Amino acid sequence: MEERILEFIGDLRRAEVRISPSEALDALGATSEIGLEDRETFKAALASTLVKEARDAPTFERIFNLYFLDLEALGEGLQKALGPEDPKMQEMLEQLANEENLDLDDMTELLLRGQGSEMEMAIRSGSQNAGLERLMYFLQVGYFSRRISDQFDWSAMERDLEKIMQMLEAKGLDPGQLARIRNYMELRLEAFRRMIRQHVERELERRAWRQGEKLTREVLADKPLFALSPDEVAQMKTVVARLARKIKDALALRQRQEQRGRIDARRTIRKSLQYGGVPMEVFLRRRHREKPKLITICDVSDSVRNASRFMLQLVWSLQECFSRVQSYVFVSEIAEVSQAFATLPVERAIEWALKGAPVDFHCRSDFGYAFNRFVQTELDTLDRRTTVMILGDARNNYNDPQAWALRMIRERVRGIIWLNPEGQWGWGIGDSVMPLYAPHCNFIRECRTIAQLGEAVDSLVHQWWRRGR
Amino acid sequence: MFQSVEEVQQRFRDARYIATRRISTVVYLAARMGRPVLIEGPAGVGKTELAKTLSEISSRPLIRMQCYEGLDEGKALYEWKYAKQLLYTQLLRDRIGELVANAPSLPDAVDKIAGQDDAFFSFRFLSPRPLLSAILADEPTVLLVDEIDKAEPEFEAFLLEVLSDFQVSVPELGTIRARHIPWVVLTSNNARELSDGLKRRCLHLFIDFPAPAEELAIIRLKVPEMSDKLAEAVVAAVGKIRAMDLRKPPSVSESLDWARSLVILNAKQLNAELVESTLTMLVKYEKDLERVKGALDKVLADLPPA
Repeated sequence: MEERILEFIGDLRRAEVRISPSEALDALGATSEIGLEDRETFKAALASTLVKEARDAPTFERIFNLYFLDLEALGEGLQKALGPEDPKMQEMLEQLANEENLDLDDMTELLLRGQGSEMEMAIRSGSQNAGLERLMYFLQVGYFSRRISDQFDWSAMERDLEKIMQMLEAKGLDPGQLARIRNYMELRLEAFRRMIRQHVERELERRAWRQGEKLTREVLADKPLFALSPDEVAQMKTVVARLARKIKDALALRQRQEQRGRIDARRTIRKSLQYGGVPMEVFLRRRHREKPKLITICDVSDSVRNASRFMLQLVWSLQECFSRVQSYVFVSEIAEVSQAFATLPVERAIEWALKGAPVDFHCRSDFGYAFNRFVQTELDTLDRRTTVMILGDARNNYNDPQAWALRMIRERVRGIIWLNPEGQWGWGIGDSVMPLYAPHCNFIRECRTIAQLGEAVDSLVHQWWRRGR
Repeated sequence: MFQSVEEVQQRFRDARYIATRRISTVVYLAARMGRPVLIEGPAGVGKTELAKTLSEISSRPLIRMQCYEGLDEGKALYEWKYAKQLLYTQLLRDRIGELVANAPSLPDAVDKIAGQDDAFFSFRFLSPRPLLSAILADEPTVLLVDEIDKAEPEFEAFLLEVLSDFQVSVPELGTIRARHIPWVVLTSNNARELSDGLKRRCLHLFIDFPAPAEELAIIRLKVPEMSDKLAEAVVAAVGKIRAMDLRKPPSVSESLDWARSLVILNAKQLNAELVESTLTMLVKYEKDLERVKGALDKVLADLPPA
């Protein structure tokens, strides 16, 4: 069973549940304390040692069901088919086996009185010999089920059953009882066959799921943002949310770390009165660190819409880490959407910014004009604590780039960060004016994929805002 | 010590706490493996109560440490009673004078005072805080660290150190090792992410709002005066209110309060007027209140008849 659990842990890890070796050891220790009799208890033991985040619970649930057959449910079906007389019959058979000292095949023994878990173990070892690891397609299910059942000596079982029936007949049971017993044993055989097939089906599902999961994560993280389908966008939302959480924790930690400072004379003297005027405990005046301000300017034209969506989601989630977040969107006309960010839940805020904001979504993007307008209306609100973050591909449709506007912004603020959802090879080619804007930016990154977006934000948190910028 | 998961479940039941299979399993494992349990879940589902009940059924005394922002080692572990120490030295000034009176030189006098170190640095001047009391206790205890998420990450790191080997060093007295390893229960409301180290170290238990059947059992157990039919209606109504998108959905303790108030009011069945007047027992925010009141007919629709 240990092997099975370790394999299970391996799959959890592959599904991005973080499990340390010591936790894996705990899981083994816990399950050996608990045993396998009760599925719910077994599951609780694994969950409490392996799953430490509420968000991982659904993943655990799913993989657990793929790995560990619901024997009870299976048993219940069997019970129903057998009718209420079953325990009596079981007793009788057991008595018979003890009295007559029957020489039965191992498998028959298992069938007669085996627990579900023992039966499953038998199937597992059978499937190892049958080379189940080569299972790949649905069409192979029948083939492998047969191969596994070929591992068992069915004829020996049939012989044993005949032997038992004869013995019972010799004991003088009436035909009705005999028929019921035969029926019972045949049902058990049937259930065993069913278990084999189910085992193979689960194995296939597990494999398919493992492959799919891997593909989704790797491919989506490296797929250009503009090429994501609506479904994929929905999937990536959770990834971005996780990213935001990580950044938030890092920022919160950093803000608390600062504990040095000047002496707080008032508190120190007051406390010293307790000790006859001796300043036993010294209190420091906590330096109050101001949270940075953030202004985001997002291009929301069609070509970069997905990138803007993730960017806005990140910004929305990080709002509380900044003293003030102002968000602007533009195509060529620029508009502030901060209001929606402060009041609406994330989904609706982003939808509104991308669709309902008072800008014309159908014209061609014009960075120069947008920056010009921004400078004219908002220049006074900028100060040295502000960081301006711009998201756009700098494809200006051959309009006037007006780089002077960006320079004016640069002179007022802490710095300008530019995240470009276009590959670096395209900057400066065609209508891209990135090289004209680049000299005025402090930090430029290519953010073509989610993975890159993550890296960019990560390095921003660790370098850019490190000293409370 | 418990012999089986069933025994844990039964003993919790006897102590009037409905423990699910999952809860009993984790408690059983924690006792067996000597691991701390970290309980997470929404407020008012019985996290703290679990620790209290555990102490009751195992007849181990409960030591409770409530965490809050700014909690530090001093307040959690021990504090020196400087003032008392100072007072003693002042009162004993004469004796100290006598002691050093016939010392030939200053170094000799210092040596003489140093010889009396034990008198000044002893447990007499140490006031143990929860963690140290759990370590010093003569009998096994249950240590409840409540709302660990309220404390700072640094404190969490310190706690982790204590929880991993159950010994602390007091510089003046040396290392103190626990005589009995306490059972440790930590609770968290998830105000912030806890460190991975702490989570790794603990068995994790997530307690969510109970399923209707469990909640019914809880109400029957805690409010036995209530008729079964009414209890069923209460559970169904609370379930519906929880499903609304509220700022704070009603917890188990709140539905118990509500059930009790209904009993006091001698209610026979739920009707709009009654629910509206007692709603404040259940829903605590003005906005939530308005929301529930607006959807009251939906809440009361097809409840089990009383």
